[in-house]
Amino acid sequence: MENLQEIFKAEANDLIEDLEKSLFSLEQNPEDKSLIERVFRVMHTFKGNCNMFGFETMGDFTHSLETIYDLIREGKLQLSEEILNITLLSVDHIRCVLDDGELANEENRKNHEKLVTGIDKIINENIGQIKSVAKDSPPVQQANEERLSTYYILFRPKDYILKDGTNPMYLLDELAALGKSKVSVHLHDIPRLDAIDAETCYIFWDIYLTTKAPITTIEDVFIFVVNDCQLEVHKIADENLLENKDFVEKIDKELSYKENIDVEELQKFVNSLYQNNQEAEVKKDELKTTSTSVNTGKKETSVSSIRVSSEKLDDLMNLVSELVTTQASLSLFAEQSNIPELMAIAENMEKISRRLRDNTFSICLIPIENMLTRFQRLVRDLSQELGKKIELKTEGTDTELDKSIIESLADPILHILRNSIDHGIEDVETRKKQGKNEKGTILFKAYYSGTNVIIEIKDDGKGIDPEKIRSKAISKGLIDENAQLSEKEMLDLLFLPGFSTAQQVTEVSGRGVGMDVVMRKISEIRGDVSLESKKNEGTSTIIKLPLTLSIIDGLLVKIKETFFVIPLASVGKVYEVNREKVTDTFNNLVVLDGRQVPFLNLHEEFTLKDDIPDLLQMVVVNYDENEVGLTVDEIIGEYQAVLKPLGKLYKDIDIISGATILGDGTIALVLDTNKIIKNFSEKTYKMEEIK
Amino acid sequence: MKRTILIVDDSESVREMLTYSLEDAGYEILAGTDGEDALKYFAHDRKIHLVITDLHMPRLDGIGFIKKVRILDNYRYIPILFLTTESQGSKKEEAKKAGATGWLVKPFVADKLLTIIKKVLR
Amino acid sequence: MTAELSTTVNSFLSFKLGEELFAANVGKVLEILELSKITKVPQSPNYMRGVINLRGNVLPVVDTRIKFGMPEIADTINSCIIVLDIDIDQESVKVGLLVDMVQEVLHIDAENVQPPPSIGNKFKSEFIKGMGKVDDEFVMILDIDHVLTTDEISIIQSSVNEPVQEEKKKTTTRRKKTATASKASK
Repeated sequence: MENLQEIFKAEANDLIEDLEKSLFSLEQNPEDKSLIERVFRVMHTFKGNCNMFGFETMGDFTHSLETIYDLIREGKLQLSEEILNITLLSVDHIRCVLDDGELANEENRKNHEKLVTGIDKIINENIGQIKSVAKDSPPVQQANEERLSTYYILFRPKDYILKDGTNPMYLLDELAALGKSKVSVHLHDIPRLDAIDAETCYIFWDIYLTTKAPITTIEDVFIFVVNDCQLEVHKIADENLLENKDFVEKIDKELSYKENIDVEELQKFVNSLYQNNQEAEVKKDELKTTSTSVNTGKKETSVSSIRVSSEKLDDLMNLVSELVTTQASLSLFAEQSNIPELMAIAENMEKISRRLRDNTFSICLIPIENMLTRFQRLVRDLSQELGKKIELKTEGTDTELDKSIIESLADPILHILRNSIDHGIEDVETRKKQGKNEKGTILFKAYYSGTNVIIEIKDDGKGIDPEKIRSKAISKGLIDENAQLSEKEMLDLLFLPGFSTAQQVTEVSGRGVGMDVVMRKISEIRGDVSLESKKNEGTSTIIKLPLTLSIIDGLLVKIKETFFVIPLASVGKVYEVNREKVTDTFNNLVVLDGRQVPFLNLHEEFTLKDDIPDLLQMVVVNYDENEVGLTVDEIIGEYQAVLKPLGKLYKDIDIISGATILGDGTIALVLDTNKIIKNFSEKTYKMEEIK
Repeated sequence: MKRTILIVDDSESVREMLTYSLEDAGYEILAGTDGEDALKYFAHDRKIHLVITDLHMPRLDGIGFIKKVRILDNYRYIPILFLTTESQGSKKEEAKKAGATGWLVKPFVADKLLTIIKKVLR
Repeated sequence: MTAELSTTVNSFLSFKLGEELFAANVGKVLEILELSKITKVPQSPNYMRGVINLRGNVLPVVDTRIKFGMPEIADTINSCIIVLDIDIDQESVKVGLLVDMVQEVLHIDAENVQPPPSIGNKFKSEFIKGMGKVDDEFVMILDIDHVLTTDEISIIQSSVNEPVQEEKKKTTTRRKKTATASKASK
């Protein structure tokens, strides 16, 4: 049973997320009816599930919320900021309460009461509007529910009804269970004893039932025999007629003998029992509910999806990796065998496993947009709290990232956003004075660049004052008073631990939890973060993440005795160069195709200087927008590399992203060309400084 | 012989709950995530003894689904129950017109559910 | 995982580095491999010999001699790799230890283990769990987790080993990220 609870919670979380997302969209487009429908439906489903799994408190709570949105969708209530706020707070509350269904936690309970009061207030304030509605209002069944009503029921089963095992007595019992009843049975159709067919039903009943249950419940009882009998259910009074002596008398004395009771006459009689014409008419239209809950006509085109546990995905990925590795051995073997059929099959295998690999990867990739709700909430809540007006714009949110990376990104991005909101964007007054738009903008942009995903968070706030950084750094002894630092270096200082230029460490951005933590977290996923800023114009935080999925297409090369793999996505062209051109050069530039291309002599870099062959291969790779050449001894060929981590002991080696096992068991090291080039350029920069 | 019940609901919790209760009682359960998905079970004249379907689902909703099933020769008379909450009164008429045999009210109690099903399958 | 010596299984695998005899708790030993081709990872510290393929997974191999500050020698026919399961930051990690020679499994009772001497010991005592007495010899029982996780590239008591210090400088400058050149970036 616990498993069911987990499924309920998992689904509940999905629903809540869906709800929150829709609420945000709704905020942007308050007129969109389909969004309101959606919000309503999600609440409805959620409520239903809550009640089914015993979370009645939440079910009731959601019911109240649902009522608000029901009113909105019927046009009886206008969506307002207040409503949105309380709904969002309720969403938060529901999240908390999912683990505390009984509201055992004091805080949860207080919160709950507060919200309930708020919601009820909204509903009650608008009850006036409800009353003023004309005929197209849905019947307020609630009003009748609590009251006793009397029904006349004619139940005349067809003669064959017993043949499929139906026992009319059960049905009568069920009816009786709904309230108080008086049953008259009509037996006159029963033939003489010797003519009786035990399987034929000869009798029928008149039932007078007083119950609080709605008419639908009564009809419920007969669902399955509705085609096998004559059934009539009529409400004849809005009160308990069975307590009315006259009525009971009439039944006993007259009605129980009548074969065919004329309902109209019966009703007239009932009416006559009253001085005032108070009772409700036998409303045939109670059966038909004229509701204004319009189907917006737009059929929901949702992409069908299923939830899969991450474990299963990881298993799948592992299997695919193993398949790729084994297939590499197969290819190698096939090649060496020189059997054409075998080689052809191996080639086919390679093609298929490549497609399988790509497919499996895309399954593990999640669009960034899934993270957005959290960010939107933060911007909204925090800016409200600080009294600032800030809008979060997004671009490229369909950019996909590996699911494991996405989780690690959430906290750093939240922190960067907090910084922008707290320290970046100015308050309304200041912005007005500066001629800026009252509303500050934070742009969240994601896009691909080579083998990386870039996430930019850009605000149009007051930017970072390099002078302030400088003085702070000096006071903290991080740099020398006379040190000359470029702007970039100045900004990089912010990534040092314990650095915070905020005058007061606000509760928001916290104490000392600065950009250094952000940098660390992003380094852990092999990413990079940098800052760009212009005073009074704004600050931009740029996060660069590698798309190092665990199987990559690479170029297998050899330097001395070691095999390396260069990710194919970064590789441009390959040239052959002479050793002299690339060893001990003054500047690291070589001429290729008439252009000057900077290069890195990997032999030197990797301290494998001796025995450099005369003829080298120069692999030109992309680095940001530039080209850089890397020298290797030999190019073996294309290779599908299953990345295996080097392990904790090698965690500081950033130039190698991992290792892969070749078909014959040898290990090849996978190069992170970006890091190699970056490290090299930083080193040369420093060396130039020293010069 | 085990009877087969087809459950159609876009809520995983509901599907699981029903499957759990009914499998326990000895029925074989098939499940669909919405009307369109469930139609696949009717493709090969599979023996289905009872259908329990939600009304509000994406792609093909309950009413549409019931209609489609009723068109199929082999399934014209199988009992189809739909799930409803109190406030969905209007749908009941529609569903009945589309060919539903009856309804089950959510949230349901397992005992009642089984009794009704037993009744229907007699 | 840091159990007291007296309560652990008192069996130790002993191995030699030069003339020195060391031992590691048998519970941590997974297997012993013959020396095979080791792929050196560029820009890694000297004591990291490289990586090898252990049944489809990457196993890092530590050159124990260098880690212990001994002069490098050529590999011999007796050199082999002891595969250990050690604890790094509460994670179980497999590591290979390249040693000159593997000896035997020793069973040493707790009473025959003395705490490491605090002075006059060639190796820093924090890496040594105790001195086990076997016959008339003493075996240095290593705290293997500690040995392999320390950043220090030598566990020699006094850092008066010239070539070693050079190594230290070179590797640390390579690891810098920004202005700070400290390896405090953990």
